Amino acid sequence: MAETHAPAASHDDHDHKPHGWRRWVYSTNHKDIGTMYLIFSCTMFFIGGAMAMLIRLELFKPGLQFFDPQFFNSLTTMHALIMIFGAVMPGWTGLANWMIPMQLGAPDMALPRLNNLSFWILPFAFTLLIGSLFVPGGAPAGGWTMYPPLVLQTGAAFPMLIFSIHLMGASSILGAINVIVTIMNMRAPSITLLRMPLFVWTWLITAYLLIAVMPVLAGAVTMLLTDHFFGTTFFTAAGGGDPVMFQHIFWFFGHPEVYILILPAFGIVSEVIPTFSRKPLFGYEAMVYATASIAFLSFIVWAHHMFTVGMPLAAQLFFMLTTMLIAVPTGVKVFNWTATMWKGSLSFEPPMLFALAFLFLFTIGGFSGLMLAIVPADYQYQDTYFVVAHFHYVLVPGAIFGMMAGVYYWLPKWTGHMYDLKLAKWHFWLSTIFVNVLFFPQHFLGLAGMPRRIPDYAVQFTDWNMVSSIGGFGFGLSQLIFPYLIWKCVRGGERVGNKAWEGAHGLEWELPSPPPFHSWTEPPSDAVIARGAEH
Amino acid sequence: MAVGVQSEDSPQRRRVRRAALLWALIAIAFYAGFIVLTLVRARK
Repeated sequence: MAETHAPAASHDDHDHKPHGWRRWVYSTNHKDIGTMYLIFSCTMFFIGGAMAMLIRLELFKPGLQFFDPQFFNSLTTMHALIMIFGAVMPGWTGLANWMIPMQLGAPDMALPRLNNLSFWILPFAFTLLIGSLFVPGGAPAGGWTMYPPLVLQTGAAFPMLIFSIHLMGASSILGAINVIVTIMNMRAPSITLLRMPLFVWTWLITAYLLIAVMPVLAGAVTMLLTDHFFGTTFFTAAGGGDPVMFQHIFWFFGHPEVYILILPAFGIVSEVIPTFSRKPLFGYEAMVYATASIAFLSFIVWAHHMFTVGMPLAAQLFFMLTTMLIAVPTGVKVFNWTATMWKGSLSFEPPMLFALAFLFLFTIGGFSGLMLAIVPADYQYQDTYFVVAHFHYVLVPGAIFGMMAGVYYWLPKWTGHMYDLKLAKWHFWLSTIFVNVLFFPQHFLGLAGMPRRIPDYAVQFTDWNMVSSIGGFGFGLSQLIFPYLIWKCVRGGERVGNKAWEGAHGLEWELPSPPPFHSWTEPPSDAVIARGAEH
Repeated sequence: MAVGVQSEDSPQRRRVRRAALLWALIAIAFYAGFIVLTLVRARK
């Protein structure tokens, strides 16, 4: 095969693209759709973040300050739904759209029109969800877990909630099908499965999880819908139904969902740490198998979210031990990332800083998860702020910092410009300091017995709530640096070559920066693939 | 031929279509399966 084409000027004739609104509305281009996903995710991040700041505003002092309890509960419910389904999941899909074809030597995603549909479902889903704030009875307020019978008391917002969940689910399933089909069918001929970048691997496993569990959530909310409107009693005890059954079904979706939110971050950290350590990833195959093990285990741990509803001792022991077992493959990953850095030639550019913060702070979230896995201890922690601290450590310095690392890593590739490194470091340090001020005190509050999902609290919890709220305002405001920095980078800056980072490796760095509208119009040759793999 | 475009019945296109349909069927099976599971359990 002839030496291939990192297609730049020679492909200008192929670089035709539609202009104006048609380019975006009718788009079938993986980069344009990826960009739309990322903009959507960022918008939702700020809407969900504004709700979080209102929550922290109310909790700054004991007593009811600004909101009635019903609206406060709506804020916590909507914050969770928007952040999980609107910010984190579309953010990962955006990164997958941008990077998977480029990393595999494919011209685009396998199903480009389906890709367009997956994205354009989302604005409708979230208009419906956010619109529920303005209907009689207010937005859903029963928590993102939608437990019956509480959720069945939702007013006019109920069908809006259910329909929006169905739409989000459909979008995720279509996106996941596209990712799997692309990875299995569109790889350049010599990229075997065990030569794929870790980001692609983690996304492949994430896509399998999505296909297995999003339909389960859709099934559960369909049953809620028929219970509410059509007289069925799936989860209504009065008619012979079982509300606890909903909890089992929900968490059969909900626990793998946690890994859907975090596995792509594992992939990004596995790309970033080798680049800035100037060493190959330690234990590539072990990382792949550890990711697959985590995904498998995620299906057999769900009941640790509901130890206190009552279950046989054998079931408690089973779910406690399987949950603790997850620490083994996760420990393999943390060990391998650390071993990659060992004796490396480290440098601390913004992607590496975010990856390192991920490593330390996600591990804190992992440790508090182990504490929650212990049944008798969980009886004490259940529904306290300790749980809130735990899952926010997993999701904010975990998933969100992982995503930040990815954006700061690939932004020069996408735009062709290096961003303002100093400003990005400010963003990192402010985020890292304030995220700890925000969430670490919540461990103390939980251990002292402060319940979650309440707008008011006993006076002894005041001090740490004030500290936490100050952290929340600081974290929220420091995120404004991020869109400004991206906007500045898109408009201009120092030009970068194909390889924006000296230690970077992988096929995406063989393409020009920014890459042409159509990336790999022909599969890259073995020589290009080998060069891409070099350190 | 336009960039990246293959004929409708190329082997790769067929593989892509088959795989997409297979995964869509698996998703539908999970959706229906869990509703049936709940029904079966409720009858006990």
